[in-house]
Amino acid sequence: MRIRCAPGGSFLTVMTPATPAAVPAIQINDLRVDYGGFVAVDDVSLSVPPGEIFGLVGPNGAGKTSTFRVLATLMEPTYGEVKLAGIDIFEQPENARRVIGYMPDLAPVPSDLKVWEFLDLFAESHGLGTGPERMARIGECLTQVSLLEKSGVFCKTLSRGQTQRLVLAKTLLHRPRVLILDEPASGMDPLSRRQLRLALRNLAADGATIIVSSHILSELAEMCTSLCVMNRGKLLASGTVDEVRKALGRAERTLTLGVLERAEEAAAMLGRRDHVTGISLAGERLVFQFAGTHREQAQLVTALVQEGFLIHTLEEQKSTFEEILVEVAESGNTIPSLPPLPKP
Amino acid sequence: MSQSVSPGIPEASSPGILHGWWPNPIFRRYVRSRLRPQALVVWLLLTLVVASFLFFMPRTLALYQGRMPIADAERMPIFFIMGLQAVILFIFGTGNVAAGVTAEADEGTLDYQRLSPLTPLRKVMGYLLGLPIREWLMFAVTLPFTAWALWRGEIVASTWMPVYAVLISSAVLYHLTGLVAGTVVKNRRWAFLVSIIVIILLYTVIPQAAKFGLVYFKYLTLWPVLDEHMLEFLPRTIRGPAHLASLLTDKPDARFFGLNLPEAVFTIFSQAVLSLTFIMILWRRWRKAEAHMLGKVWALGLFAWMQLLLLGNALPLIGSGDLFPARQIARRYGAQMMAEPQIGEALAMIGLYGLVTMVLLIVLILIITPAVDDQVRGLRRARKLGWKRVPWISDAASSLGFTAAMALLGGIGWTVFAQQIIGSDWFRGHQLAAWTGPVFVMVLLGAGLCCQTVLEARGGRTLFLVCIFLGVVPVLTGGVLGMVSKASLTPAAWLMGISPVSAPFYAAATMVPTTGFDDTFSLTIPTAFRFWQGITVLSAVWLVVLLRQQHRARRESVLGPVDLFTKCASGTSAPVPPSGLKDRG
Repeated sequence: MRIRCAPGGSFLTVMTPATPAAVPAIQINDLRVDYGGFVAVDDVSLSVPPGEIFGLVGPNGAGKTSTFRVLATLMEPTYGEVKLAGIDIFEQPENARRVIGYMPDLAPVPSDLKVWEFLDLFAESHGLGTGPERMARIGECLTQVSLLEKSGVFCKTLSRGQTQRLVLAKTLLHRPRVLILDEPASGMDPLSRRQLRLALRNLAADGATIIVSSHILSELAEMCTSLCVMNRGKLLASGTVDEVRKALGRAERTLTLGVLERAEEAAAMLGRRDHVTGISLAGERLVFQFAGTHREQAQLVTALVQEGFLIHTLEEQKSTFEEILVEVAESGNTIPSLPPLPKP
Repeated sequence: MSQSVSPGIPEASSPGILHGWWPNPIFRRYVRSRLRPQALVVWLLLTLVVASFLFFMPRTLALYQGRMPIADAERMPIFFIMGLQAVILFIFGTGNVAAGVTAEADEGTLDYQRLSPLTPLRKVMGYLLGLPIREWLMFAVTLPFTAWALWRGEIVASTWMPVYAVLISSAVLYHLTGLVAGTVVKNRRWAFLVSIIVIILLYTVIPQAAKFGLVYFKYLTLWPVLDEHMLEFLPRTIRGPAHLASLLTDKPDARFFGLNLPEAVFTIFSQAVLSLTFIMILWRRWRKAEAHMLGKVWALGLFAWMQLLLLGNALPLIGSGDLFPARQIARRYGAQMMAEPQIGEALAMIGLYGLVTMVLLIVLILIITPAVDDQVRGLRRARKLGWKRVPWISDAASSLGFTAAMALLGGIGWTVFAQQIIGSDWFRGHQLAAWTGPVFVMVLLGAGLCCQTVLEARGGRTLFLVCIFLGVVPVLTGGVLGMVSKASLTPAAWLMGISPVSAPFYAAATMVPTTGFDDTFSLTIPTAFRFWQGITVLSAVWLVVLLRQQHRARRESVLGPVDLFTKCASGTSAPVPPSGLKDRG
């Protein structure tokens, strides 16, 4: 997978070598959303191939929900072009809605309908066959989210997590090719989250493309095949978790080295090596930042051993994705290190 | 309901007749939720009890106390039952439509409907017929009583069919009003309240203007058709008094320029046009949630159509005198007093026509004028697409030109109305001033442009304050001042003249020189009118200049100090829009 990012233009593309010729499942060009003087989404371009589980990450106010609402045809942007599965969502909104499954943040349900009635409303809207066919499909979707036994109860009696699962079932009803899930796991218990992860992986394996946002970033990292970080309306980086970490300039990790003797000499030697910064010495423990590759890390340790230092421990500590995001949110939104990418 | 292997899920989803007859998912959704047996039975029983009471009480009274013949006694409950039907459909139905759609918006589930691939029209029809489904069933429960009364009361179909056709078309119109109120108003309680207020205004208060020359408005209600057929519904034994009979029988058909149409036909036609406008509003909102309620061209067309309807209904009644309140009063009381139309009432009617036109103009300005945010978005989009300006009919474009066009049309309509009245045989000694047309246009243009510029430049809140302090306060204060003494009439007239509300009446009084009125009327009002209109016109010009400066400044702030469009047009530096960028303005 290759990632490209132009800091000024906020253009990102996630390219999977396996499907180079496929029409992108999600294609966004120069998308901008304004709320008065506030720019919620700032000239964002994005391309996601079919079959990806694509995570959109960012702090509150980053522009995730606005992007999702535009993708879901619920909001008109200031300008921009969006194609889902090759369909221009502004030119053919009704057609686009046939391929979209959208699950909003804190997904609501109507208080006056039973679970199966709620699902049947949308099954019928999407033209999912005759009554028995629709009922069969509703049963399948409820089974998929483990809510079959609740099909006859009123939606208002469901718990928060059950409501989320019900709305997920509604989103899956018409077998959408593009799933847009805004915080789908909020309110779910660990078991339901695992079911959600499995369900999304199965859907992606069947060819659906999923774009998902979550505040539980570690979970998103586990779930997604690629990620994208957004802040203040701009896209910052995209790729796998490690690639994003690297793109954000947070590839360095903290290494702690336990040296039996001559710790000060070891510190001096480390100070002369590449990729090493911020060395501190506490007794026999040397703590420093290292930004090189794992091969370079191995070479560093080998060099120390060859110099006769007695190393008894090596601990590696990566900054968590949450920490990176907090830093990104607090520090601004530019990524200086990546080369510019020409727009298609 | 049969059960499948899945607990709680039926094998098929068509358990009832209503579910099956119209495959609209939104309609079926409300058939399910609003016709649950427990609640439905209670409401139907309640309706049955009330309808039974309203049927048997007057019938029994007529039969045993009034000693009426059986056929006459059977007719007695008809109006009582019709009243109940009107309450069920007009009040309960409309309230539930408004509250129901707002409840969905409130819960957030309305977004799901926006996401469904149904066309906007199917969604509108689903809500329109689905939300008040329980009220329609309650109405159906009362129908056997009506049927019995009509059958045993020997009332022919040509009498009751037009009335019930208009009752049903009125109900649909009112429900559409509720749907629009519910779609526009965000708060559930407010939606219910607003819909009821709008209905009372539109279909009860405003139709009173029909008594003062604006005949069209009565066709928004059931009354014209009911009036036309009242006599045939009444028991024959109580049609006694001759003047009552003449009052009820001597009804003109609906007149529209040279056409004579049955009241029912014209009422249904008038209501259909308004219903179509409401459907257009809803269609636009379903298509795009942020859209204005009406597009600029549609608003202009609606305004022109309203002028045509107002004139078309009123002008044919001038010759016979049926347009004038004095004649109506004389007819109603069978007296000859005040049978001749008076110049005072002519002036009031001309003033009222101007005021109604001004109110309609301002309502449409409120609908089509873009907020500052919309204008900025439109400019950004235009810049991105490399256009010279925002398309003139898009929601984001200024409504200045359309305001002027509507004011011009309104002024023309108003002038025609005044000319036809004053030029009629009833007012031979009077003449309309030669420059009446331009003055009437100026009155509407001044008020319209002031309103539009303030709204477009400063927003609705500022306009509201301006309306209160310049529109309402002077009239109220002048009214109080005028009550103090005769000497205070002159300052009161000056004070009231500040308000645009008084301008149409002052204009009418100025343009039709009259004698026989006191000095306040014949001298002060024309002077005050000329002075305040001068101020209004200067203010309007000044505000338009300011607005244009603001437009320029905004364009520069959005696009930068260099006018890219000018450069683009001259070919020096044409910004190329990215391929595939579309405008949806």
